[in-house]
Amino acid sequence: MEYRMLAKAGIKKQKGVLTGIFLLLFLVALSLGTILTVWGNSGSYVRKEISRAGFGTITAWVSGIPDVSSLTGQMEEMDAVGRTASQPLIFSNYTIGEQESDSEGQLILWEREEERYRFFADDLSGYQLAPEQIVPGTVYVSPSLISLFGVKIGDPVNFAVARNGGTVTLTVAGFYEDPLMGSSMIGMKGFLISPEDYEAISGQVRSSGIDALARSGSMIHIFQADGSAATTAELNAALNEQTELARYTEFVHSAETIAGFMLVLQNAFAAMLAAFVLVLLVIVLIVLGYSVSGTVETERKNMGILKSIGFTEHALRRIQLMQYGAAVLPALLLGLLLTEPAARLLAGMTLTTTGIRISAKQPWVLSSLSLFILLVLLSAFIWRKTKQIGRISPMEAIREAETDGSIAGGNLPAINGRYLAFSIAHRQVFTGKKNYVSACMVALLLTFFVSLIGRMDSWLGPDGKGMMDAFNPADHDIGVQMFGTSTEEDALAVILSYTEVTDTYLLAMPGISVNGIDYTANVISDPERFHILEGRSCTGDDEIVLTEFVADSLGADIGDTVTVSAGLGQAEYVVSGIYSCANDMGDNVGMSREGYLKIGEDRPQLWCHHYFLADASRKAEVTEALTGMFGGDVHVHENTWSGLGGIIAAMRILVVFMYGITAFFILTVTAMTGTRLLLFEQRDIGIYKSLGFTDRLLRLSFAMRFGLTAGLGAVMGSVLTAILTDPLVSSVMKLAGISNFASSPSFGAVLLPGMVVTLLFFLFAYLAAGRIKGE
Amino acid sequence: MKESLLGGVKIEKTFRRGDKETKVLDGVSVDIFRGEFTVIMGASGAGKSTLLYALSCMDRVSGGSVTYAGKEISACSEKELATLRAREFGFVFQQPHLVSNLMLFENVAVAGYVAKKDEPEAVAAKAEELLDRMGVNGAKNRFPAEVSGGEAQRAAIARAMIAGPAILFADEPTGALNKSNSEEVLDLLSGLGRAGQTILMVTHDVRAAIRGSRILYLEDGKILDEISLGAWEPGEDRQNLTLAAPAACGGGKEYESRKEREDRKERESRKEREEKVTAWLSALRW
Repeated sequence: MEYRMLAKAGIKKQKGVLTGIFLLLFLVALSLGTILTVWGNSGSYVRKEISRAGFGTITAWVSGIPDVSSLTGQMEEMDAVGRTASQPLIFSNYTIGEQESDSEGQLILWEREEERYRFFADDLSGYQLAPEQIVPGTVYVSPSLISLFGVKIGDPVNFAVARNGGTVTLTVAGFYEDPLMGSSMIGMKGFLISPEDYEAISGQVRSSGIDALARSGSMIHIFQADGSAATTAELNAALNEQTELARYTEFVHSAETIAGFMLVLQNAFAAMLAAFVLVLLVIVLIVLGYSVSGTVETERKNMGILKSIGFTEHALRRIQLMQYGAAVLPALLLGLLLTEPAARLLAGMTLTTTGIRISAKQPWVLSSLSLFILLVLLSAFIWRKTKQIGRISPMEAIREAETDGSIAGGNLPAINGRYLAFSIAHRQVFTGKKNYVSACMVALLLTFFVSLIGRMDSWLGPDGKGMMDAFNPADHDIGVQMFGTSTEEDALAVILSYTEVTDTYLLAMPGISVNGIDYTANVISDPERFHILEGRSCTGDDEIVLTEFVADSLGADIGDTVTVSAGLGQAEYVVSGIYSCANDMGDNVGMSREGYLKIGEDRPQLWCHHYFLADASRKAEVTEALTGMFGGDVHVHENTWSGLGGIIAAMRILVVFMYGITAFFILTVTAMTGTRLLLFEQRDIGIYKSLGFTDRLLRLSFAMRFGLTAGLGAVMGSVLTAILTDPLVSSVMKLAGISNFASSPSFGAVLLPGMVVTLLFFLFAYLAAGRIKGE
Repeated sequence: MKESLLGGVKIEKTFRRGDKETKVLDGVSVDIFRGEFTVIMGASGAGKSTLLYALSCMDRVSGGSVTYAGKEISACSEKELATLRAREFGFVFQQPHLVSNLMLFENVAVAGYVAKKDEPEAVAAKAEELLDRMGVNGAKNRFPAEVSGGEAQRAAIARAMIAGPAILFADEPTGALNKSNSEEVLDLLSGLGRAGQTILMVTHDVRAAIRGSRILYLEDGKILDEISLGAWEPGEDRQNLTLAAPAACGGGKEYESRKEREDRKERESRKEREEKVTAWLSALRW
């Protein structure tokens, strides 16, 4: 009874502080629960759907194959292969509105009975039953096309099937969930079409002969045999060795790799947010620690009195635990309860980017366990912080509370009559350091994290150049690929009518296999342009460069020899260097044109001409002129891709979100710390007022203390970011295949986060000091 | 002809606690004259301190008005009052109320800086001089927690005087001090009074009240009566003798005999004034 009575009185007295802790922890619990839910559910959902929809251990995209059943027959004879399944499709470039795709689309024959795909309701609020049939002339697309192309139901999609008017237009009838290539992070996109359209387009491809722009092909899903212990790389190598797969392969990916592609965005952002939540949790602990110590200090006399009437140290600590528990427990529980709606909201918001409807169903065991761990951690922390109660002796506490505390001497900052507000603030901070440590630490952590995200944002750049440089094997302004009778010279003439060309080179991206494993090769006419991380570029025709991911998976190092196969045969190549290119999550290699042509066939359409323009600002005009002049016979792309917009937008939202949370945390921390300090200093404030200090001067001086402290924390945070950003972010980026992350933000971008944090502390402290007015 | 420096007309002050209202000052009208050491006496709870804080506008009045140098100040804004407190008023409280993290010198100087009457260098020099006059210059670089109550209170008087206030308000300035420290503080205030400083002091202690030249008696929120005592003369040289080193006062026997003479004069004067005030108080209470 007495515990409850005292705890209740304490809660009433400290309701401001406890409300602050409640809000901070609620935010932490909600964010943590939502991240865990979205991250956990998206991972398991994508893998479950890949399996349910009948996609194999390995999926091979093939084209130009005369008889698919013969190839699958060869595969099924292998011990490592259990079974295969194939889906007929047509590869075709497409245009939506004015926007041309940068990767080929896959027109997939859809038959209702296969139940492979799930269809979204038209407003994307949930699922609906699969249509009885896809109406000829219509198409179902992934919702990620909404973020990529702004597509909506009823919009036409133009497929470049053949030259000379061979464009097929299909109308978007709805959206489907594609667990294989639905994410906006994946360039290739599936389009579900009716058997009638499939037959018609296939016929058009066959009849167009050399004028055909589209190609017939298949997705072959290869299921590993139950008893097989081979890794997917070994299975891939065995398939290339023992079957004719390599002759027809466009690309091959394992289910795990595909899941990785599909989840790269969720995982990257979940990792960033989880790290942010961790920072917030540390901040909560700092604030909580300061609050508990402050309470013990202010309640010293009362605790002394309680001890004198028989309360034990243990009992008093329990009362404190009960008081703080009144804020901690409801915050965690409310966070847990609201996780599901928050996850649903987030899943809905990200549907048009991820292409999948992530379940918002809470993983109760995981959520409850993590929040239980949080509760234990916080309780243990509070319990430990209240240990100082043990040092309170009854009479000493009563006596101490009646006298002034002494101040440590030493070199104190002088009081300067000309800068009175500042020098008093300086002195207060200096003599009351422990009161400001929490503000300093919070400023440090927030500046560090906001700076880190800011540096990532700077790296990305306003137009996503950082990301493009990471994905492109070599830089360029525009790339032009000619298909028809018009030649590269014709295209160049158009470009030159707008601006001079300062340099040019050729790039092709054929599929090859290295030591039996399929990869995309970046074949370049000017190998010096590769972004080399280690060693040197593959200038010789018997040399190759690998990404560090390929080098790792092949166990190859610079100077080692690898066997490379392509359509015309195979040859040995020496690894001359490690280069960076995040395409296919880093699963690619780089070769010189001469090197590739030893084993691969040369077709004019294979090559994309990359140009550097004297006036890069005219890129859009040049692109428009080329497509206007050559229509479907040209594919022009800039140093960008449609999915980039989504990433940049997500990054901007993340930056805004983090600044918002930062402001909220600073507001709460300042209010909590400030209120307590003002309470401590009530007497001093009265004295200053009796001396003629105005409210404004006192508030200004009070705010300056926080400005000074936060400024110091911000400087330390900025320095820490400068040291740690690149190694920390690089390790995360490597998960997405990006190995060349190096932030080089502008001077303004370096200063901005620290300045914002300092300014917010100053501003909120000034507001918190409003109560000086009434005293 | 006495000149009124500070005046209150029908001052009322009511405190409200829940539904209950307590009227502490009930239409008090009073004048504080320039150059006079005025003392307010009264029983505990009579409203002495309330009147002092009402007249100094540290606290807002519920009714009536307060005039300073001919201008009504009870309706002034907080900013105007802050300027008044910084430049025209000085305060000494029962407790020294020094800022805990400022050293004695800084506590004094900071009040001069905020008044902005002089350049900071001049303020610093004046702070040194005042601390010296108050006999606490040796402790100027110590924090309030490191000095005795008497030293702290003397520093508080120095702080109150740094801006050369037109009027010094003192609320039970010896209330928290022992006898010897009390005497020292009263000697300082008496010295200031003799030098022409207008002082308004609240006390319940007859020994402190006799230092004033005029005593007002407050009862139930009203001024019941007043008495004029004349200036505190006997201790004229005593302060110098107490605070200065014997050598500075002639040293040896000469010092001793001067001190003895002054002490005797003081005892006699004190006795006379105490008897007068006690009789006056007895008559009032009776």
